Amino acid sequence: MPSSKITTLSELKDYLYLAMQLEHATLPAYLTALYSIKPGTNTDAVHILRVVAVEEMLHLSIAANLLNAIGGTPDLAHPGFVPSYPTYLPDGETDFKVGITRFGKEAVETFKKIERPSKGDGRLVRRSYAPGTSVLGRHPKSDEMHFYSIGDFYKAIEDGFELLEAEAQGLGKTIFIGDPKRQVTSEYYYSGGGALFAVTDLESAKRAITLVMTQGEGTPTSIYDNDGELSHFYRFDQLTHGRYYQKGDEPHHPTGPALSVDWEASYPIEANVKLADFPAGTELYDAAQSFNQAYAKFLKAITRAFNGKPELLLTAVPLMFDFRNLITELVRNPLPGSAGRNAAPTFEIDAVTAAESLAAARQEVVA
Amino acid sequence: MRVLFPIDSARRTDIDAVSADDRYDAVIVGTGISGAIIANELSRAGKRVLVLEAGTGTDRTLSGYEKYLSNFYGASSKDNQSPYPANPNAAMPRSPLLRKLQPGETDSSTYMVQSGPYVTDTTFTRVFGGTTMHWEAKTPRMLPEDFKMRSLFGQGLDWPLGYDELEADYRTAEREIGVSANVEDQAYLGLHFPKDYVFPMKGLPLSYLDKQVARGIDDTRVELCGKSYPIKIRPYPQGRNSIPNPAYDGGKGYVPVGAVNTHQVEEGERCQGNTNCVPLCPVQAKYHSGKTLAKALHTGRVDLLVQAVVSKVVTDPGNGNVTALEVKVYREPQSAEHRTITVKGTIFVIAANAIETPRLMLASGLRDSAGLMGRNLMDHAYLLNWGLMPEVCGTMRGTSCTGGIIDLRAGGFRRHQAAFSVDIHNDGWGWATGAPFSDLTELVDQQNRFGAELRRGLIDRISRQLLLAFMIEVPPTESNRVTVDPQYTDQLGNMRPVVSFTVPEYSMRGAAYAREFSKTVFARLGVADHTRYDPGDYGYVTYEGQGYAIRGGNHIAGTHIMGTDKSNSVVDTDQRSWDHANLYLVGAGSMPTIGTANVTLTLAALCYRSARAMLKQLH
Repeated sequence: MPSSKITTLSELKDYLYLAMQLEHATLPAYLTALYSIKPGTNTDAVHILRVVAVEEMLHLSIAANLLNAIGGTPDLAHPGFVPSYPTYLPDGETDFKVGITRFGKEAVETFKKIERPSKGDGRLVRRSYAPGTSVLGRHPKSDEMHFYSIGDFYKAIEDGFELLEAEAQGLGKTIFIGDPKRQVTSEYYYSGGGALFAVTDLESAKRAITLVMTQGEGTPTSIYDNDGELSHFYRFDQLTHGRYYQKGDEPHHPTGPALSVDWEASYPIEANVKLADFPAGTELYDAAQSFNQAYAKFLKAITRAFNGKPELLLTAVPLMFDFRNLITELVRNPLPGSAGRNAAPTFEIDAVTAAESLAAARQEVVA
Repeated sequence: MRVLFPIDSARRTDIDAVSADDRYDAVIVGTGISGAIIANELSRAGKRVLVLEAGTGTDRTLSGYEKYLSNFYGASSKDNQSPYPANPNAAMPRSPLLRKLQPGETDSSTYMVQSGPYVTDTTFTRVFGGTTMHWEAKTPRMLPEDFKMRSLFGQGLDWPLGYDELEADYRTAEREIGVSANVEDQAYLGLHFPKDYVFPMKGLPLSYLDKQVARGIDDTRVELCGKSYPIKIRPYPQGRNSIPNPAYDGGKGYVPVGAVNTHQVEEGERCQGNTNCVPLCPVQAKYHSGKTLAKALHTGRVDLLVQAVVSKVVTDPGNGNVTALEVKVYREPQSAEHRTITVKGTIFVIAANAIETPRLMLASGLRDSAGLMGRNLMDHAYLLNWGLMPEVCGTMRGTSCTGGIIDLRAGGFRRHQAAFSVDIHNDGWGWATGAPFSDLTELVDQQNRFGAELRRGLIDRISRQLLLAFMIEVPPTESNRVTVDPQYTDQLGNMRPVVSFTVPEYSMRGAAYAREFSKTVFARLGVADHTRYDPGDYGYVTYEGQGYAIRGGNHIAGTHIMGTDKSNSVVDTDQRSWDHANLYLVGAGSMPTIGTANVTLTLAALCYRSARAMLKQLH
């Protein structure tokens, strides 16, 4: 039976690549839910979703910093980086899928599962999936092994850093051989809570991992993270309870100001729609394709940013404003043959990348 | 940084408790930046403070702020007050309501009575947060020479303070507001900073439009009074969040303050380049005084009473000390129903603004030894010039204003004519013509365009717009003033401000030169000039045969100026009234001149100075 222990640098790099994949995979779900909300409604939910999405980008950048710190090469444009939705995320006994759906009660329940706190011990669970199913958070050495929570997955990474660095130190070496210039710092990306800092040694690596874990789930003793920021799970939980948490609150018992949610005030988009569901040659098809192209461009830009050009992250911000406009075009329009449900972004990025490389290859032949 | 309003602060303060309380160390009138800074400084030093706000504002939640935003988005007129519902108990000036005056006419149809001859569209905002709820947040310092206008140029007045005496307080104000700028861009025309000083956050970049203008005019020169001045586009310091400078505070860095709310929210820690900075930043990346008030309220020593309009300052006829304030607390904006209470304290601070503060003082009929209360009303006179750039320049992108020309803020020509600074408006012709809405109306109604052709037309038209706003200095003039008149009162029976104003010739000489300057710049850029001043415009002023539409700048100042003694001024260098030893009149009204600097940073710096004096007096 494979253990959750990371014993080689190559394994650690695999885990960190997975970590980036994992952090990113939640983003399409959060963004779609966010932009499916009808304008002027659900302002509390809009803020909560926006902050969580912004912080998933922070976590993605932290994972890139960790990978760069040990000489890895982040590649978000790699085929398969973006999963095919719906996709599995780490789960325990009752599995769930993350999909591209409208904002609503069901979506919030899924989001809470994504961000749910660790159970503690016994974090690796065995589960089998149908062949070809998209699964994230799996154990790199075994398709059947999964972590219970994202936090558990990061704990394994943290242990790996400690073990491998101790081994390296024993030989008078270090695993932190990455070029510090490849580190992305808060100058280039910020979020409400948690500064982005360079990972250059074991101490900063552990600090970075703790930030990701606690921002998602809280600390073992608190619903707030170490910066005093409410963790993602409890942010979503506020929507369930219709009330904000405040300092001193116990889990599931928020006592802060009331908030209101209109669960129906989102566009009725078709869940997990694919480009093949769109009638070819229509404006709607073009809009869906434009979105995928824009998203592919965004992933390429941040890949370059994580590969020695951190200043390019600043230009990714306007690209994210474009997403809002492009998604809005889709979610407000009915999808033909979908019983009145609306279109939605498909996040089929590999197809775009493949088409683009084909076009590039043709160009070369012509030249 | 997360700054929360205590949840309790969103509840109404008990009126009976406030009126029965005689142990307040200080009673502050106004929740704008002056009142906020002083409340924060005094309460942090252990003093008990009562803050009175005439406007509404119990709602300090993010959704309350966003309600203002949606009012603005939905308003047909996008003026500075458009987010704020009309409140006849705490009314405020609104530019769309103004009209041109006939000679000798007085217009009392709007809250601020215009007794002319010039009609000013200057505004101030009477809601929780004061005028920081609509300010643009440009934060230049005054130049050292601005403090010595009389002795250097024979114009206006000298300050009883100099730049060097205010320099440390400027830095404190820059910390509180959270100024984004680079010292290398701001150290000009005598402005100096301590060695190793950096602003809290790095300067915001110049917009693409700024850079296109810079390409055409940087390192060219203009002639003025026989001297040649080089000009260039330079970034302005801004009271909005950018990238924190890690070198700030000796390497400790700076944590920006984002949106404030009663529950945790993370936004506004960086400017996103939305272009509706005025009146409201959608994410609160722009400073407003709520950010300071939230900190003050956290001390637990600040009581805040809203919908509380001070109607009278009551003094001891013997020693002149203020004994109480008479306050009308209204139930709701549309009804005159109110309760009159008196509030007591050891010291009193009037931090309304340079029109409301003298209005209240004059309405109270108090001693005015120098006879200067309400006089020397100043503002910046704005002259707008607009045209179309030869190429698409991305207008409507970025913060309202990121760059401009400051080279004529100083110089020997100030003996003869007013100095100015020039703003490049990233929001195009909006201020002058109502763009982009007016462009849409014109293309649809007059040119019958629709569909793709309309879209192309809008892009071509709007993204080439260039608007140069000249912010021209206005010297203090005693006849420019605020008065009161019992025949003009508001819904609560409080006397309204009456403004008499003439744009001084000194400023008009600057305006005439500004017009020529702008023609020169337009020629160098290949800009097609579309500037046109309508003789029917309420701000139309003729000078030497030419007409100009002069706009107010909302930089109201000078109505209770500071000076060296009680015969030449209303307050001393601590903004303490000469006539009433426990009364402070704070804000831009204390400024004897305003040069070519937007007034907020300087008045904030003065408030830190005053807070120290108050603490000393209270000890």
